[in-house]
Amino acid sequence: MYQSFIGLEIHVQLQTKTKVFCDCPVTFGDEPNTRVCPVCMGYPGVLPALNGEAITLGYLLARALNCRLSPVSSFDRKNYFYPDLPKNYQITQYYQPLGRDGFIDLEFRKKKKRVRIHQVHLEEDAGKMIHAGDMSLLDYNRAGTPLLEIVTEPDLEIGEEAELLLQELRRIVQYLQVSDGNMEEGSLRCDANVSVNHRGEGLGQKVEIKNLNSSRFVRKALTWEIARHQEILDRGGTVTQETRLWNENRDQTESMRSKERAHDYRYFPEPDLPPFRADQPFLEGLEERLVELPAARRARFREQWGFSASQVDFLCDQKSTADFFEAVVAAGGAPDQALFWLAGDVRKLLKRSGGDLLTSPLTPQRLAELLDLLARGRIHGKIAKQTLEQVFLEDRDPSAIIHERGWKQLSSREELLPVLERVLEENPLPVEELRQGATRPLGFLMGKVMKATGGRAEPAAARTLLQELIEAPRRVSSVQVLSFGGAIAGTRREDGMIEPGDLVSLAELFQADPELPDSILFEELRLGRFLSEEITPADWATLLVRIAGTLDQGGVQGIVIAHGTDTLAYTASLVHWFFADTPVPIVLTAGEGPPGEGSRGESGENLRRAVLCAASGSAGIHVVYGDTDFLPLNLKFERVDSGGGNSFRTWNPEELLRSGSSLAPVARGVEQEELTRCLEEVLGQTCIVRVYPGMRGDILVTLMEAGIRCFVLEIFDRGTASLREGPFSLRNALIQGRERGVLFFCTSQQEGVVDFSGYVTAHALWREGAVPMGRLTTESAFTRLVTAQVEVLCEGEARSRDAWRERVLALMED
Amino acid sequence: MNNKTKALPRERYRSFLEHQDRAIGSFLEIGAPGVWDCAPGNGSASGDDPPRGECSGENGPHLTDLPLAVKDNIAVEGYHLTCGSPMLQSLKAPYTATAVEKLVEAGALVVGKTNMDEFGMGSSTSNTPLGTTVNPWDHSRVAGGSSGGSAAAVAHQLVPVALGSDTGGSVRQPAAFCGVYGLKPTYGAVSRFGLTAYASSLETIGILGSRLDELEAVFRVIRGEDARDQTSRAWPRGDDEGEGSRDDAPPGTIGVLQGELGLSPGMEKSYRATQEALTDLGYRLEPVTLTTLDYTVPAYYTIAAAEASANLARYNGIRYGHRPVFAENPGELMSSARSEALGEEVKLRILLGTFVLRSGFQDQFYLRAQKIRTLIAGELDRVYQGVQALLMPVFPCQAFLRDQEEGMDSFRQKVADRFTCTANLAGLPALAFPAGVQDGLPAGMQLMGPAFSEERLCRVARDLSAVFPLQFPGTSRSFSEWRQGSDAARGGS
Repeated sequence: MYQSFIGLEIHVQLQTKTKVFCDCPVTFGDEPNTRVCPVCMGYPGVLPALNGEAITLGYLLARALNCRLSPVSSFDRKNYFYPDLPKNYQITQYYQPLGRDGFIDLEFRKKKKRVRIHQVHLEEDAGKMIHAGDMSLLDYNRAGTPLLEIVTEPDLEIGEEAELLLQELRRIVQYLQVSDGNMEEGSLRCDANVSVNHRGEGLGQKVEIKNLNSSRFVRKALTWEIARHQEILDRGGTVTQETRLWNENRDQTESMRSKERAHDYRYFPEPDLPPFRADQPFLEGLEERLVELPAARRARFREQWGFSASQVDFLCDQKSTADFFEAVVAAGGAPDQALFWLAGDVRKLLKRSGGDLLTSPLTPQRLAELLDLLARGRIHGKIAKQTLEQVFLEDRDPSAIIHERGWKQLSSREELLPVLERVLEENPLPVEELRQGATRPLGFLMGKVMKATGGRAEPAAARTLLQELIEAPRRVSSVQVLSFGGAIAGTRREDGMIEPGDLVSLAELFQADPELPDSILFEELRLGRFLSEEITPADWATLLVRIAGTLDQGGVQGIVIAHGTDTLAYTASLVHWFFADTPVPIVLTAGEGPPGEGSRGESGENLRRAVLCAASGSAGIHVVYGDTDFLPLNLKFERVDSGGGNSFRTWNPEELLRSGSSLAPVARGVEQEELTRCLEEVLGQTCIVRVYPGMRGDILVTLMEAGIRCFVLEIFDRGTASLREGPFSLRNALIQGRERGVLFFCTSQQEGVVDFSGYVTAHALWREGAVPMGRLTTESAFTRLVTAQVEVLCEGEARSRDAWRERVLALMED
Repeated sequence: MNNKTKALPRERYRSFLEHQDRAIGSFLEIGAPGVWDCAPGNGSASGDDPPRGECSGENGPHLTDLPLAVKDNIAVEGYHLTCGSPMLQSLKAPYTATAVEKLVEAGALVVGKTNMDEFGMGSSTSNTPLGTTVNPWDHSRVAGGSSGGSAAAVAHQLVPVALGSDTGGSVRQPAAFCGVYGLKPTYGAVSRFGLTAYASSLETIGILGSRLDELEAVFRVIRGEDARDQTSRAWPRGDDEGEGSRDDAPPGTIGVLQGELGLSPGMEKSYRATQEALTDLGYRLEPVTLTTLDYTVPAYYTIAAAEASANLARYNGIRYGHRPVFAENPGELMSSARSEALGEEVKLRILLGTFVLRSGFQDQFYLRAQKIRTLIAGELDRVYQGVQALLMPVFPCQAFLRDQEEGMDSFRQKVADRFTCTANLAGLPALAFPAGVQDGLPAGMQLMGPAFSEERLCRVARDLSAVFPLQFPGTSRSFSEWRQGSDAARGGS
C-alpha cells in the first residue's frame, strides 16, 4: 500500500493596473515589448518602487487563506541567469513573506481535508522566451507583473484534490478581485511537487512537475506521475529526483532535458526596497476589503435555501452569479425558481450570446419580475422562456415585452369564455361523456382549449370553467393516475399466476368507498402493460415525459403512479432525481397482486391511500405502501413477512428528503423519442457490479472493454473491498478505468453510510478514484447516475471525454 | 528666473572644454546633441566666468546655466551611460537620473560625462579601457577614483561642479587627490534613481566642487525624497535654519583619531596641520578611538561584492550593451558577452560576491559582514554623542603614480579605503576638503558627521578654507582666462 504526497506552488498574477515595481500597465496580449520601461527592462541605474496596491492585494489573499500576517515583510533577491529575467535576479520574498501558516479547507469525495499553506509571498514575474527555429525571441511585457506565490505543505494525496484546490483558489482570488484567476492566460499557474512512498515511511523521492497550465492538467499529470512512481516502487526501483514537464499532447510527464544542477539562488535582502510595515490602519483596511469567501457563501446558501452541493457549487462558482442570485431573491424572486432559471435557460442564453451575467441585458430586477409574473399566473412556463429570450435580444423589461406581444395568460372568465364555448360546441361527444361521469375526455378538451389559445390559457382556470360549463359533477381536486404496469395493474389467471394488464377502473374501485371524497376527479393514463421486471428504457422515458407534460401543463392536484413492487426502488428514485422540485405530490404505489384481493396492504388499498395522498399530500415524491408514506430514496423491499406482511424499508433515512431540486432540468424538457434514445444509451454504458469474495478484477476490465463507462460498485460494508495485490484486487481495474475515463461509484451491500474514511482499503479506493455514494443505496445511486448522464447528454455541451467525466461527477456530488 | 545671472556662451565653452580636457582626459563625452545650441544665452558675448550657482534665492537655489559634469554611471538622457565599461560602451541612457533632472530644472547645464573606474570599481580611474584620466597636478599620477574624471574636471577648472558617486570613498578620494571639495551625502538624502548600481546599500550620488557655496547649492537642489527611490528620505524639516543659526554659536567639538593610522609622512603632516588649524579656529578637539576601524575594509568589500554580483548580473548582452558576434544558444550568448566585455577587476568582485553569498556560507561571510556593519554604526552613534564631527584622513597617501609597477597595487588600494568606507557602511555624510598642498600635490582631509549633518560639515570646512584655501594646479585655466588667451591668440594671427 502506497502513500502519496503532493505540494503545490501556485503563482497568482495580481490584478493591478501597473506592474509591481514600475508604472507600466499590466495587460495581456499586447505587441511584444510594448509594455516596458527602463525599470522593468533592467536598465542600469533604475530602482524598483513597490506598488502599494500589489502589496495590499497580496496581504488580502494571505488573510483570506488564513495566514499569520507578517507585521513587517521584506524583499530579497533570488539570483539566477535566464534570458527572460531582465535583471538576472528576481525580487521576491524569502526571509519575511507576507504571510505564513495558513490553510484552505477542501472536501473531496466526502473526505474533508485542511490543506496547510506554508507561505504566501509577493514577487515579480519574468518575461517570456519563445524558441522559433534557430532563434530565441523574448517578450518582456510580462516582466515585472506582480505575482503572488502560494506554497502549500505536501498535504494533498491525489490529482483530483490538487485540481479541486486550484479551482477553489481560483474562486477565492476572483471573489476578492485579487486576480482574474485565468489559468489559460497564465494568471494562475501551478507547479506540483509529488512523492510516493510505502505507507508509513514518510515522504519519498520528490519530483517537480512544470508546465501545468490548467487545473485539469494538474490532475492528469499528478495521476500519471503517481502511477509512474508506484510502478517503479512495485518493481523495487527508486524514483529519480528531477523536474518533469507535462506533455499535454501525449498525456504524460517527461523528464526535462536540462542538466540537473542543484540551483543555489544565493538569496539576500533586496537593498533597494525598505521593508513593508503592515500597521494597524493597513490591517483594518484589509478587513474592509474582505468579502464572504466561496466556502462560506456555499455553506450559507445550503443553510439558507436548502440547496444541494451541486446547486450551491453552480451558484457560488462565480461571485457575479451568487450576487445576481441574491439580488433576484432580494427583489422578490423565489429562491428555488431563481436557481432553476439561472441554471437552466439563463445559462443557455448566456452561452448562446457569449456574454456573462454582469454585462447581459438581464438584470436581477428583470428576472425577479419574470418570476413574479410566472408565480402570479400571468404567464406560464413556455411564455416565460420566450420572454426571457426577448429580454436578451431587446434589452427591455419582461412586462413590457409581454404587454406588447399580448403574451399574457388568459385566466379571467371574460377572456376564456368565448374560447371555451366554441370548443364545447365543436366537441359535443366528449362533453356528453363527461356529463355521464367519465373523466378522461376532460384532458382531451383541455388540449383543444390550449390549441385554440395558442397555449395562453391558464390551465387551472380553464379547467374549472370547463367543468362549470359542462355542469359535470363538481370536483375540487383532480388526480392523474398513471398505470405503469406491475401486479397492481395485472390480472390473476386461474392458475394463480399474475400477468400484465390494465389498471382496473378506479371509478369502480372507489365507488363503494365511503372515505374517499367524491370531489376527486380521476384521470387515468395507461402507460404500459408489463410486469415490474419488464421495464425498458422506453417505458421509463414514457413515464418521465408524461409527468413532465402534466407538471408543465399544471392544473392537477397530484399524480399517482401505480407500479410493480420489485423495481419500485429504481423508478421512485429516478422520478425523484428528475422531479424532486415538483409543486404537487407525485405518489408511487404498488401492490403484490391485482386490486380487490382483500388483504391488508393490497393493491386496492394502496391505490386508495395513494390517491388520497395525491389529492391532499405535501409537494414532493411519495411512495405509499400499506399505511406508510415512504421517502422515494433508499427503498428496500423486504420479503420477510413479519406479521405485518411484506413491506418496504428505508436505509439510512437520516437527512433524506422527499423534495429538493431537479437533477435533470434540461433532460425533462426533451421529446419522448430523444429521452428514450438517451436512456438507452446511458443504460447501455452503466453497470451495477456487486463485489463478492473471489471476484476477479479483470471482470471489470472486460466490462469496460464492452463499453461500460460508469460503474456502481456495491462493495461489502461502508467501503471495504480487496485492494491487495493479485487477481482479486480492484486496483488494476480502477487504474485502467481512470486511464479510460471510466467512473466508479461505490455503495454498500449493508445498510450504512459509505464515506471511505474508516478503512485502509476504502482509503485506497478513494485514492484510486472511486467515489463513495454516502448514504445512497445501490438503486438510488444507480438512478442518480443514470439521471446525471442523461442530463449531460441532453445538455449536449460535454463534447470531450474529460468534460463529460467532469460534468457527470459534478452532478453526482452532494 | 534670475536676470542677474549671466548666460553662458555655449559654443565657446564647448571649445574650452574640448581644448582643455586634452591634457587630462577627464571627459568621456562632451556635450550631447542639442546641449550647445538651444539656450537663450547662446552666442552672447561676455568675457566673464561662467555663471555660478547661488545658495539662496526666493524660490530656492538658482543654478541657471551652471555647467555641470556628470560621472558616466549616472543616467542623463541623450548622453551615453558607459559606466566606464566596454559592456555599455554603446548604451545611450533612455532616461535621466532624478538628481540630474532636479539640477536641470534648476537651470544647470549638463556639459558632459566624466571618466571613471569600470562600474565604480577602483581608486584610480585607471580601471577602464575607455579613456585615460590623469591628475591635473601631476600627469604621471592618478586622479583617484572611481569619480576621477569628475574630480579632475573640477580641479582643472573645466567645470565648477560635477556629480560623482561614492560607494566606498569614490567621491572623497579623488577629491582629495585633485585638491577639491567632495561631498558624500547621508544615505537616502539624495535619490539614487539613475545611478548605476554597484553596491546599492552603500552608495550615494555625491558632489565635487571648487567652491563650498556652490556645492551646497547643488546639494540643496538634489536632496529630498523621491518616489522612484524608496530608500530615499525627506530632508529633515528646519535643519538648514537650525544649522544656519548656529553660525554664531561657539565652535563645537571635533573628534580626531588616536594611534598609528598608517599614513604617509605627507598625510601625517597634513592631518596634524588640520588639527592645529581647527584648534586655532576655536574648535575643541576630542581624541577618539574607533575600535571597528580595522574591520571596515573586509566588511565593506564583502557587502559591496555581494551586492555587485547581483547588480551587475543584468549585463548579459541581450537587451542592450555588448553582444558577441555569435552564440549557439541564449546561455552561451550571456556568458560570452560577460566574459568578453567585463574587466578583470569587475570579474574579480562579481566572483567574490558570488562566493560570499553561496548558501551555507552566508553566516561565515555576508551575514558576518552585516553584523560588523551594525557594530560600526553603533560605535559611530556613540562617538557622535561626544563630538559634532570626526576629522579623518581620506586616504593614507596622496595621489599615487599611474605606473602600475611604481604605483599602488589593487589589493593595497582596497586596504587604503579604511577611512572612507566607514561612512558608507554607516550611511553617514562625509566631506573631503583640501588641506593644503604637500610636495606639489594636494592633501585632502575629511569630516564625517551624524546623519543629515551635511550643512554642519560644510560650515566647519568653510572655516578651514580660511587656513587652507582651494588651489588650482598651475597648468589649469579658468574659462575666462582661457578665453582671453585664445581671443588674444586669434587677434594676434
